Formats: sequence, C-alpha cells, structure tokens
Amino acid sequence: MRLAFGQRFAFWRPRSRLPFAVLFKKFQSILDRNNHILEKMADMGDKLGGEYVFDRHYIEHSAEELSDMVFKLVSDFSLLNREKNSELFIASETVRQGIAAELSGKGLRRELGPRILPLAEIGLEHCDEVGSKLANLGEIHNRLGLNVPEGFAITTAAFADLVAPSAIAELLPQAARLWQDRDEAGLRRLAAEVHQRILVTPLPGSLASAIDSACRELTKKHGGSGVRFAVRSSATWEDGGSSFAGQHLTLLNVPPSQVAEAYRSVVASLFSFAAWRYRLERGYEEDETAMAVGCQLLVEGTASGVLHTCAPDRPSESMVIESIWGLCAPVVGGECATDAFILDRIPPYRSLATTLAAKTRQATADPRGGTCWQEVATERQHLPSLAPDQLQTLAETAMTLEGFFKRPLQIEWTFATGGDLTVLQVRPLSRWTSRLAEDGRDSAPQADATVVFADRGVIVQCGVATGRVVRVDSDRDLERFPHGGILVARHTSPRYSAVMGKVRGIITDFGSSAGHMATIAREFRVPTVVNTTIATAALHDGDRVTLDATHNVVYEGEVATVTGFIPIEEEIFEDSAEYRLLRRVLRHVTPLNLLAPQSENFLPSACRTYHDITRYIHEKAVEALIHLSDNHGASHSSAPRKLTAELPLGLLVINAGDGLDGAADDPEVSVEQVTSLPLAALLAGLSTPGMWSTMPLSVNLNSFMASFTRTFTTSLAGPKDIGRNLAVVMRNYLNINLRLGYHFTTIDAYIADNVNDNYIYFRFLGGVTELIRRSRRAICIAKVLERYDFRVETHGDIVLGRLKKQPAERMRQRMTMLGALLGFTRQLDAQMHSDSDVAHHAEVFIKAFDDHSAGDDHDHSVRQQPAPPAHSR
Amino acid sequence: MTTPSDSSRLRLLILDDEPIVCKRLKPALQKLGCTVETFTDSASALARLGESAFDLVITDLKMEGLDGMKVLTEVKSSSPATRVVVITGFATMETARESYRQGAFDFIAKPFRLGDLLDCVRRIGSELGKDLSQATAK
Repeated sequence: MRLAFGQRFAFWRPRSRLPFAVLFKKFQSILDRNNHILEKMADMGDKLGGEYVFDRHYIEHSAEELSDMVFKLVSDFSLLNREKNSELFIASETVRQGIAAELSGKGLRRELGPRILPLAEIGLEHCDEVGSKLANLGEIHNRLGLNVPEGFAITTAAFADLVAPSAIAELLPQAARLWQDRDEAGLRRLAAEVHQRILVTPLPGSLASAIDSACRELTKKHGGSGVRFAVRSSATWEDGGSSFAGQHLTLLNVPPSQVAEAYRSVVASLFSFAAWRYRLERGYEEDETAMAVGCQLLVEGTASGVLHTCAPDRPSESMVIESIWGLCAPVVGGECATDAFILDRIPPYRSLATTLAAKTRQATADPRGGTCWQEVATERQHLPSLAPDQLQTLAETAMTLEGFFKRPLQIEWTFATGGDLTVLQVRPLSRWTSRLAEDGRDSAPQADATVVFADRGVIVQCGVATGRVVRVDSDRDLERFPHGGILVARHTSPRYSAVMGKVRGIITDFGSSAGHMATIAREFRVPTVVNTTIATAALHDGDRVTLDATHNVVYEGEVATVTGFIPIEEEIFEDSAEYRLLRRVLRHVTPLNLLAPQSENFLPSACRTYHDITRYIHEKAVEALIHLSDNHGASHSSAPRKLTAELPLGLLVINAGDGLDGAADDPEVSVEQVTSLPLAALLAGLSTPGMWSTMPLSVNLNSFMASFTRTFTTSLAGPKDIGRNLAVVMRNYLNINLRLGYHFTTIDAYIADNVNDNYIYFRFLGGVTELIRRSRRAICIAKVLERYDFRVETHGDIVLGRLKKQPAERMRQRMTMLGALLGFTRQLDAQMHSDSDVAHHAEVFIKAFDDHSAGDDHDHSVRQQPAPPAHSR
Repeated sequence: MTTPSDSSRLRLLILDDEPIVCKRLKPALQKLGCTVETFTDSASALARLGESAFDLVITDLKMEGLDGMKVLTEVKSSSPATRVVVITGFATMETARESYRQGAFDFIAKPFRLGDLLDCVRRIGSELGKDLSQATAK
C-alpha cells in the first residue's frame, strides 16, 4: 500500500525544499480562495433569480474579482505542486477572455460556434445565436410540437464574419457619436455607406458553401426543384425586448441559388437608416446588435393572417384574427383590407363579431421569384377567408402559445394548401400587458363560482390557468403528460421541468416557493401554488378546474371572468440586457464539466469554466499536500497515516505537530492515537452510537456505516482516488477535507485555551446529485448550525458556518456536533422527500444530539474515545 | 383598488445613469402607488427637481457629470423635506457616513433586493402619511 502510494508519485521530485509550514499555508490559502470563488459564483447566480436589482457595474466588477481570484488560485497551486501549470493558466486566461468578450459585446458576435443551425435544434436558449424570433419559432416547434416552416438559421457567428472586415467594422462605432450629436443627416449617410459595403462584401467561402449545402439538403428532402425559401431577419433582441416590427427585411419566394445573396440583403437591412435609428433611440449598443437570418421553406398559404391574443381596444376577454386569401405579407404590411374575427379567449372560443372585407386581390408566389398580386375570383371576394374549424384551430393554438409565453402575443400564421396551420412568427405584445394586468388585479374573486379551496399554501407564480387536472405520481405520468394539463402532485420536484412547456398550472400538497421547481415554474411563468396540503385529496384526475394563482383560489370548471385575467407579469425581467449579459458571463463561470476525478478528462486542459478550474485545483491540492508530506517525510512533518477505525472514512492524516501518537513512520494510526483535540472531537461525533438509535428514521448504524463504506470502497478501489479525504492536524488544529460521495465538507478549526484564537470554519458543498435534495440538505444543515451558534450563510447548495471565540469545551462540543451532523446528513440524503421534511429532520437531529450530550459527562477529556459502534461490520 | 388622487401619492424621482435600475424600479414603485419619474443624467434630474416638488429622490452616487453626493446636497438644501435614498455600487463606510451626514434617509448598496428598497419606500410613505399598497413586487 505504502509502496504503491510512493510509486504513484515517483514522477514528482521537489526542486527545492520549502518548509512544510510554508506549503501548508499555501494549501490553506488555496482552500480559502476556493471558498471565496464558490461564494462569489453562487452570489452571481443568485442575481439571476429576479429578486435583485443589479447593474452593469456589478457584472463587470464581479467578473473582475472572480478572474483575479482564479488567477491567484492557480498561482498558489503552482507553488504548492511545484509545477508551471501552464495549462491551468491558459484555461483561466481563456475563460477570462471569453468573459471580456461578453462584456465588450463581442460575445454576441461570437467567433466560435456554428454558422448554421437547423431549426430542429433551436430553442429559447439559442436566442444569442439565432435571435429571439427564430429562437421562439424553434421553441414552439421543438417543445410544443406546432408546425413552423422547416429551415435553418444563419447565426450571429456568421454575421460576425461578415462585418469583421475593417471596411465595415470601423464604420459601425461612428453611429453612436452621430446620434449623440443629433446628426441625422450624418447617420443617414453612414447607414447608406454601411448598407452598400455589406451588399458588395463577398461572403466568406465556407459560409457560402454551408448555406448552399443546407439549401440543397432541404431541396432534396422536399422533392427537388420548385422549393422556395423565405429569408427572414432575426436580429438579437428582435421580438424579444423590443419588437423591431417591420424594421428589417424579409424576402419571400427565394430560389435556393439566391439564398446567399438574400442573406446579405437581410443583414444589410440591419443598417438601414430606419432600423439603425430605431435601435439608437431605444438605447441598444452597437456591439450588442447582431443579425441572424432564418432561411425557411416558403409555405404557400391558402389563407393567412395575424392573430392578436388580446384584441387591442377591446375587452380583455377577446382575441382578434385578421385574415386574407394567399400569403401573409400584405396583412403585416397593411396593404389590403382584411376579414376580422373577434373570438372569446376561452373555450369554446365563441365568435363575438365578424367583419368581412372585399378581398379583391391576394399575394402569391411569383414564378419568377418574389411575390406578386393576383386577382381573387369574384365569388370568393366576399367569402370568409377562414372556416369555423380553422378559427377553432387558430384560437386553440393561440391560447397554447400565450400560455407558454405568458404574455399577449401577435402571431403570424398561414393555412398551407394541405390545410395544416403553420405558425410563421410569434411576437410578444408588451404594450398591452400592463393594462390587462391591471384589469386582472382589479377584478374581485368570483362570488358565484364554486371554490374547491382557497388561500391554501404558497403562491409561487401568479397568473390564471384553466385545464384538466393531471395527477403526477411517477416519471411515467410525466412522460404521458398531456398538453395544457394542470399538474397536481404530492410534492414539488425539479423533474417537472420536463413538462414545464406543456403545463398550464401546478398545484402541490407540499413544497416551498424557494425550491428548484418553484424557480423553474417562475422561469416558465406557470401559475403555481405549492404547499396546499390538500390538493391531491381535493382534486381528481380529469377534473376541469380554474387555478387563480393571483388570488390563490381553485375553482371548479372554467370560470370565464377569471380566465379574463392575463397570465402575465408586466415587467419581464429576463428581457433586460443586463440579465442576459450576466447569464452569458455565467456560462463561462459556473457550468461544471469536470465531474469525476477518476475520469480520463479530469485534466487541466479540459477546464472550460472557472468552476472547472477551482474544482480541479481543490482536488489536486489535497493530493499534492499528501504526497508532499509523504516525500518530505518525518523531517518536516509526518508521512500521511491512514486512520484505522470502525468508521471506514478512508481518511489520511498528516501530523504537522503533536496531532498524533505512535511512530511517525507507522503507515496507520488508530482513533486512540489521535491527540489532535479537534479531530478527536469530530471522530467522537461521527461514531456516537447513542443518538442514532433514537432516530425515527429507518437508520441503524449498520446501514449508516454501509453508506459510508459504499462510497469509499469504490473510491479506494482505484489508486488514483486515495487521499481524497485528508486531515492535517496539530494538537489544537484540524484541517479536514472530506468527500462523501459527491459532497465536500471542509472544516478548519483551532481549539485551545485562549478563547480569542478559537474558531471553527465549516463549509458544506453539494455535488452533482439531484438539485432539490441537495439544497434541502443544505437548508437542514444551516438550521442545525444556527441552533449551535454558528453564523451561517447559504448560497444554493453551499453552506458556510463560522463559530469564533468560544471556550475550548464548547468548541469541542461543537466539533462533536459537526461529526454527528455529517453522519446524520449523509444518511439523510435519501430521506428528504419534501421541503417540509427539512425542519423536521433538523429538529430530530438537534433533539437527538442534545439528549445525547445531556447524558454526556462534561468533564470528559479530549482523549476519551467513543464506544465501538453497536453494529460493527 | 381605488386610484389615489395625485396629492395622496408619493412623488418620487429616480436618478441612475444605468437605465436598467430605472427600468426595474419604476414599475415596481408604480405598483406601490407612487408617481415615478426617472432620469439617467443628473443635469436633467436637477432641472426637474427645480421645477417640481418630490417627496423622495432615489439617486445613484457615482455617475458621469454631477455625482449623486452633489445631487443629495442640492436637494437637501433647496428642499429639506424631500427624503433622499442613496443607492450605490461603490458602497464604502466612508460614502455611507458622508451620505448620512448630508441628510440621506437611507443608504443602500447595489445590488439590492427589490423588496428591500420597496420596504424603505413604504417606511417613507408611512412617515409622510401616504397610503402605499402592501402588494409585494415579484
């Protein structure tokens, strides 16, 4: 064992010997920085929750702080492991540059990433790459299963290529100055020049051929010749924060051979005078603007039009559909008279009013390309352009979309020759949301409707939902979840994110508004009430109900006046540029790609984010410290000794001074030989047999220990994994890094007679397990720590506890408590089913530990050893 | 919900050179029942303060041009009854102390929870006898 250990580190030869104390200090500094980085990351993540008001300064400042800390972390590590660590420095520099690019706006015109993305692969998360318009379309096709014209996006990365040549790039920044000087004529000239230069700039060869092959593939799939494209703008922010309606070019009926040229024209329209002025007026920065372009098959509609889910200037209970024969373009352009259908917003979507126009002509695809007008046969001119069943289909689709986007929408649509409804574009209508939201708030709850229950539980997301109750008890229920159902379940679960796009509302018996599911429900703006305690008893599968999550009432059936409420919040926080910027910056920071230290890609070169780098360094720093003391041998400290205990902790202990008894070169050390006061206390807590038996859970010591063993036998199986659990001890000092499964606990403690020197620092960090249980346990731990006088901070699944300046005996008891708590929570992981369990389990622990301590002799010495476990293995 | 007449509303001016702060605060404060005007440059804000009386000014500290501390002192000297709440991303003990010395009602470090600022405005509302909605912003 010892030989293998030495061999493993044989490659390592110290170049110069630094005293162990110095290196250990570095190690502590690494841990310290590691903590600060994790805390900062969690702090930034918190800001995405919508609760905080933050500005650009915050993002810049935080990013700079993080970069600085990570750089110093790598530097410290280099001193500890005596290597250059070039790959780590490169990784951190790459991340830093990525963040800098985001902050400078160049992240949007990312040089990386695909130039072409098929619509089938696009979702809302791609809005930076493909613009909001195409991201919306991709989302409703791929998530809601609605028909949209097949096609692909030419991304903002391609745009970055196109405007990169200096002849264009150097002109762009002039716009802001001209605008500031109110020099409209100058801006007009600039716009004309940029526009022209883009039109004459050749596409990069690779882009031209990529567009060509994407077109050819679609052409082949759809029967060869005759396929035509609609080439549409999808600028960043278009149909997102601002509509940019009609500002950019759309070209219809483009033959495949001309798509590349059409692409260039659409991009150029970003720099038309009107469009440029529009975004300068609205405060868009030049470098946060980029144009993605959608190339979709042209759908030759028999009837097309625009639907507003909330009829402008009408009561909020109605939607309006304007429609004509033929292609949709004339409706949007306001070029001809349209039929108007006003419908109820609730099923069965009764017709409230119909106005038919004389539709003398229709737009149609010109065989020569583009569109042309065509006379409408006299007998059809006065016929309604939509049949009742088409109106129904449209209304249903519109309400599905509104339910999904949670705000009134303007929807462009067409009925294709085959009769299928195709959605061409979905645009949020922010202008009306405010008024309608007021209406909603002002309406009194319904007196005549039958209330199933009211004022039970906690509102997570306001809004109103109508639909059938769908009881979810298992993953299979989720797989079968129908579109538009109201999810009713015992507990909240982040697994429901799988159906969030289909769910109209959520009601649970238990759960908290701070849970992960709650966060997701808010993200999807699904009206949600949790912790009602009676939802599953009162609501049955298939019941039709109306959930008014704004007033916290569940009604039987569909309550028409209630559903008049618009299920939206008027300020959509995610629309702010700062929110998006922070989210983009965090993409370089928080994702964790290095999961298992055993895996092959646990390498510095595989680090993609700051999280990866800190994770890697933490793991390797512990390893480095072990082999460092191993190599230095007894001259500076003891070699690591393996703790032999009933507790299979897999713990290696380095004695940095009076922390262990017995021969320094003994490869093992027993619990009895631990003279370090803090470690002895911690071990006593970990193995306290008395309290476990009082647990109401099905916990016995055997299974408790088994849960420890499972982790460590597997990790000990491979030599690479040894030493993940490491303690450095002195008589009054302990630094311990415990990895239990994927959870990390760090304790740094000093306990001696001088009260002022005493401290315990405790950090618990969840790993890659199921989010919700992880954070529940974090809350449970936090509650317990607070009960025992710790100053506690929690950030997501990180718990930090600090205790200072208490007398030695009390500090010792607290260490024992921490030991017991570690064991307790380890076992508890599988037991925490709902948020309500958290408080319960915390209380159970506190009571058990206090009972145990009460029977304890307060005068026992540090060296007093715990009794052997009741059920030893 | 009845619409309060204008005189019963809390009149509020927000000055922050980062538009996002105005954009987020304005609707939330309107929801509370305040009348809200927002400015991103201190010159226009001061001009407006010269024209009209406000119950409360919420100002950033560090801005281009005239900084928030000057806005604070000018407001307090020309209209001592106006409450001023300072919000800043550069919070130090020094600036906090100075703000209070100049008569700030409260000093809030950015980023802050929207709810905390609303609580502060409610406090001011109740001191001034203005009825603010208890609705909490999301």
